Amino acid sequence: MASITLENVSKDYGSGVVGVRDMNLTIEDGEFMIFLGPSGCGKSTTLRMIAGLEDISTGRLRIGERDVTRAAPRERNVAVVFQSYALYPHMSVRQNMEFGLKMRGMAPADRAARIEAAADILGLQPYLNRRPAALSGGQRQRVALGRAMVREPDVFLMDEPLSNLDAKLRAEMRLELIKLHRRLGRTTVFVTHDQVEAMTMGDRICIMRDGNLVQVGKPLEVYANPVDTFVAQFLASPQMNLVEARLNGNAGAIELTSDILSFTLPRFLHAAFAKALGRAVIFGLRPEDIHAEPRPGAVPFEASVVAIEALGMENIAILALDQSGKRELSARLGRDFSASIGDRLTFYADVARMHLFDAETTRAFPRGRME
Amino acid sequence: MLRVLSHLGLCLACLIVLLPILWVLRTSLVPESLSYSTSILPAVTFENYASLFADNRFGTNYMNSIIVAAGSVILAMPLAAPTGYAFARFRTSGRAGRFAVLATQMLPPVALALPIFMLYRSLGLTNSLFGLTLVYTAINLPFLTWILMGFFEAVPRDLEGAAMTDGATAFGAFVRVVLPVAAPGIAAAAVLGFIISWNEFLFALILGGPRTATVPVALAALQTSNGVEISKVSAGVSLAILPLMLASRFIQKYLVQGLSFGSVK
Repeated sequence: MASITLENVSKDYGSGVVGVRDMNLTIEDGEFMIFLGPSGCGKSTTLRMIAGLEDISTGRLRIGERDVTRAAPRERNVAVVFQSYALYPHMSVRQNMEFGLKMRGMAPADRAARIEAAADILGLQPYLNRRPAALSGGQRQRVALGRAMVREPDVFLMDEPLSNLDAKLRAEMRLELIKLHRRLGRTTVFVTHDQVEAMTMGDRICIMRDGNLVQVGKPLEVYANPVDTFVAQFLASPQMNLVEARLNGNAGAIELTSDILSFTLPRFLHAAFAKALGRAVIFGLRPEDIHAEPRPGAVPFEASVVAIEALGMENIAILALDQSGKRELSARLGRDFSASIGDRLTFYADVARMHLFDAETTRAFPRGRME
Repeated sequence: MLRVLSHLGLCLACLIVLLPILWVLRTSLVPESLSYSTSILPAVTFENYASLFADNRFGTNYMNSIIVAAGSVILAMPLAAPTGYAFARFRTSGRAGRFAVLATQMLPPVALALPIFMLYRSLGLTNSLFGLTLVYTAINLPFLTWILMGFFEAVPRDLEGAAMTDGATAFGAFVRVVLPVAAPGIAAAAVLGFIISWNEFLFALILGGPRTATVPVALAALQTSNGVEISKVSAGVSLAILPLMLASRFIQKYLVQGLSFGSVK
């Protein structure tokens, strides 16, 4: 059991290419930490640096109390589950799981006991003598997990382990991984670019962009208080709607004006957004905060329905605010919503749940807790 | 109908390619006096084969070829595999290093023949199978390194990562995981190296003597002052291509099998 501490960790590939920049992060003992970000943001590089598979250019890395900055991968007692699974193709499932135990000089009887136990948990008993080539994607994924489990490492490092599975299997494995983490209680770092995985699996999310750590926090906290427009848009699908606007007025009445939507800010937000007075801002509203029916405090606006994605449990409507159709918002509406393409209807923006960002820096004006 | 036509076309193409080889086989089974006859099989005899072994010590030549060809591969492979791996995985000596490996293949062998002969004479390595094996090792080493580099590049890096986090050293990961996964490629490279050594003529002629003559040298020697004994030459050629045919069959199987099927995705 161990915590992971990154102190000013950077990865410099030379000739100006930087993979990770000055990262500071502490992952608590037993925590399930998600690294989330688009391709090339440095999340996998960070994971590989923790594993020892990538050199750390500058900075320090500690696992537990031990400084492992320059330690070889085998000296760190971590187990990696790769996106590609990286099963040894010339070995059976049993041998794959046994390899790490053999390398550590464990007695054959103990090895067998651990493999049996892991195979029971993961339902791999019938496949122990098969080679990876004779397994399905889901089974290979389990073997990769089993290979990591039997080692009983201090830290599990998982590099997009679910991304090669189909949607149904992915949902199943997601749940199994959560259960497994509860059962084993090991510190886990899980790299993904999937927001659903990030929101549902982790104790905390660490969002990265262009090699920088952008925000760390509990999933719902990050969702409620994104630090900038990047996080606001990345952490949900459909993305948060962003509209360029301006804040005018005084402490008594603050008016938000944009070329498509203008309203007076709810009083309880005045304190949070007073700093933005007189500045160019970006107004953000999540699709679920746009409604088809009136709500107390919601601001009505007219829009044309451009497209409807009927998902059964809900309808995602794309709304055009002006005639040109250039200004589009997405709205997550109830399953009973029905309209024809081209209909011009009144919708209601729940501005009490709005977000506000500086137009210049894209940083958020913190709004505090959601009501 | 189209199927039949395309099969006929393919059969014809095969025949054109195979005809010279089939004709050599046919001539090896025909008495010398009838070897230039236009009929397909005027008579069948194994006399040419028997005479080759009885009168020309072809058995010794054959064994010499096997020793130097296999020996050179056995000596070169343990050096070529780590070298190829280093080039494939690390920035070892950069592009210049890779080019240097390839550059050795650009030199015409005849340019090396004289210096090597002088060197060998002073070292007393001429007319020895060991000396010839060493030359073939030197010829094979860059070639095998180059081929293996490609095979190692195709081995997923994650496999080494997995082995190293599982407790192996970098060298341990190479020996326990990369080598077995690349085994089909290594086998294919070994066969190619064997074929190169098996067919080599120039060095075998210059550095060898009657005791160490290999198959290509022995076949050339069948051209005597009495003319070419074509049936005997054909018998020798048929025997010479036998291991190559078996070897080609072997590489085909392993090359098609692919490198790391099933390890990823």
